[in-house]
Amino acid sequence: MDLSLELFPRHPKGLRLKNPIIAASGTFGYGNEYADMVDATRLGAIVCKGTTLEPRPGNPQPRLLETPSGLLNSIGLQNIGVGAVIRDKAPLWATWPVPVIVNIAGETVDEFGELARRLDGVPGVAAIEVNISCPNVQRGAQEFGADPEQAALVARAVRDATSLPVIVKLTPNVGDIVAVARAVAGSGADALTLTNTLRGMAIDTKRKRPVLGGITGGLSGPALKPVAVAMVYSVYKAVDVPLIGCGGIYTASDALEFLMAGARAVEIGSASILNPDAAVRVIDGLGQWLIEQRVTAVTEIVGIAQGEDRSGVAFYEHH
Amino acid sequence: MKRITAPVISNRSLMPETYLLEVDAPPIAAEARPGQFCMVHCGEGYFLRRPLSIHRAADGLAFWLRVVGRGSAALAGLHPGDKVDIIGPLGNGYSVRPGARSLLLVAGGMGAAPLAFLARKALREERSVTLVIGGRTRTQIYPVEMLPAGLHVVVVTEDGSQGEKGLLTDFLPGLVRNADQIFSCGPVAMYRAMRQIVVDRPVQVSMEAWMGCGMGACYACTTLTRQGPKQVCRDGPVFDIQDILWDEI
Repeated sequence: MDLSLELFPRHPKGLRLKNPIIAASGTFGYGNEYADMVDATRLGAIVCKGTTLEPRPGNPQPRLLETPSGLLNSIGLQNIGVGAVIRDKAPLWATWPVPVIVNIAGETVDEFGELARRLDGVPGVAAIEVNISCPNVQRGAQEFGADPEQAALVARAVRDATSLPVIVKLTPNVGDIVAVARAVAGSGADALTLTNTLRGMAIDTKRKRPVLGGITGGLSGPALKPVAVAMVYSVYKAVDVPLIGCGGIYTASDALEFLMAGARAVEIGSASILNPDAAVRVIDGLGQWLIEQRVTAVTEIVGIAQGEDRSGVAFYEHH
Repeated sequence: MKRITAPVISNRSLMPETYLLEVDAPPIAAEARPGQFCMVHCGEGYFLRRPLSIHRAADGLAFWLRVVGRGSAALAGLHPGDKVDIIGPLGNGYSVRPGARSLLLVAGGMGAAPLAFLARKALREERSVTLVIGGRTRTQIYPVEMLPAGLHVVVVTEDGSQGEKGLLTDFLPGLVRNADQIFSCGPVAMYRAMRQIVVDRPVQVSMEAWMGCGMGACYACTTLTRQGPKQVCRDGPVFDIQDILWDEI
C-alpha cells in the first residue's frame, strides 16, 4: 500500500509527499503550535499561515464563530510578515522531515511577485501557495481570484519571481471556476488548490449588527465540502496540473471523495481546529481503506469518479 | 497539556442558566493552575470546542459555565457517565508573587469561576484573600456558601438584592489599599473602569475571547497589547492590565 505521490510533476525539481494529506493554511499556524497534541511530521506537507510583506494585526474581534455545519472566520490575515517567516520560522522548518509550503497574500500583483522573490531559495521553504482570495486594492477590492485575467497575472508574477513550485489556491466566490483554473494553469502554476472559503456573514439579531468584526467572513467546514468537491470534479478534466482538494474534510471518507473527484492531494483545515490530530487520523483511515480495498497506490483512485463506466456500482445498490 | 475523554461525574444547575460541570480527568487536574482553561468538545455536530476556565482541580476537574449559546447548552445537558473530550490545561494562568501577603480578587459575574480556584490555592499558601463579586442581581452571584472558609467575601449587586448595592467598582477604592496584588476576571467594561481606580497596584486580568484552536494556531482570539498582537489562548488569557491597549480593542 503506497500513499506517496509527486505533487508537482511539471516542475523540474518536483516534490514527493509521503502521503496526500496536507495541513491547510491558517489552521495549523507555523507548524509547531500543536506539537503537544500531534506528530506533525507524519503529514504529507504543512501550509503555513498566510504571509504578507509586512506584519498584519488582523481584524477586530470577534473573528470566528460556529455556523450550521461550518465555521465562519474573519481573521484578516494576521501574520508575522515574510521577513519574520524567513528569519524565525524557515530555519526550523529546514530541520523537519515534512515539507512546509508558504502561503502568500498580497494586495497588488507586484506584492505577490515580491513575496515570491523573497522566499525563493530560502532553506526550509518547499513551495509557495498563492492565496488569490485577497481583495485587489487596485480593482475596487474585488478578489483577484474572481477574474481569470487578474488571477493569471498573479500566477505569472509569482512564477516569474521564483524557482520554487507554485500552487495557486482558488476562490469559490466566482462564476466560472473552470475559466479561472485554466487561466492560472496556463500561467505557470504547478498545482491548484480548490478551494478557499466561501464568502458569508452572520447577523447578531440582539445587537442588530454583523457578528464578525470583519463584517463578512469565509465559510469553511462540512457545509463547504459538496461545493469544493464539485469544483474539483469540474476542473479535473480542464487542466493538466494536479489538484489539491480543500473544504470540509474531517474523515478519510471525506478525503476519498476529493481524491475520487480528481484531487491528487487534500488539505485539512477547520478539522484541525476542532481536533489537532484530525489530519493524522485521515492518513490512518486512508491507509486502512486502501488495504481493505486492495488498492496498491493512492494515485490509482485519483479522478476515478470521472469515468463513464458505472461498473463500480454494485447491482443491488440501485434497488 | 493533555487530551482526555473524561466521564462526567456530576452536572448541576447552581443558579438560573449556570451549571457546575464536574469531570474525571486526573491528568489535566494535576497540571492545572488557577486562571488556566480547557477546550471542551460539545459533541457530534459541533465544529468548535468551547473554552471553559478551570473552576476547581481537586476531587475532579470542575467548570462553572453559563448557557450563552448552542455549545454551552449542549454542555449543560451532559449527564453523569457521559463522556466529554477535553484538551487542557491551556494558557498561562495567574501569577502570584511569592512575597504577596494580601490578595484582592475582583470577579464580575461568571468571573468568580477561576478566582474561586485562585482563592483556594492562595488560602492554602496562608495568604490573606479578599474576593469581591459583582453582578446585576443576586441570581448572578456565585453561591457564597460554596466558597472556601477563611476567604473574606464582599458581594455587590446593582439592584441591592444581595450584599452591597451599586457597582463593584464603587467599592474598589476602599479594598485596594491593603492589596499587594490584584487579580480579576470579568467583562472588558469592568477592566476599563478598574484601570481608573487601581493605578498604583499590580493587576492581572483574564481576557475573554471567542477562540478556535486554544493553542495559538488559528489566530482567532487575538488581542492588542503594548507588545503587539497577542493570542489570548496561548499568550494569555491572563495579562497585566497595563499591557492591554484598552482604547483599541
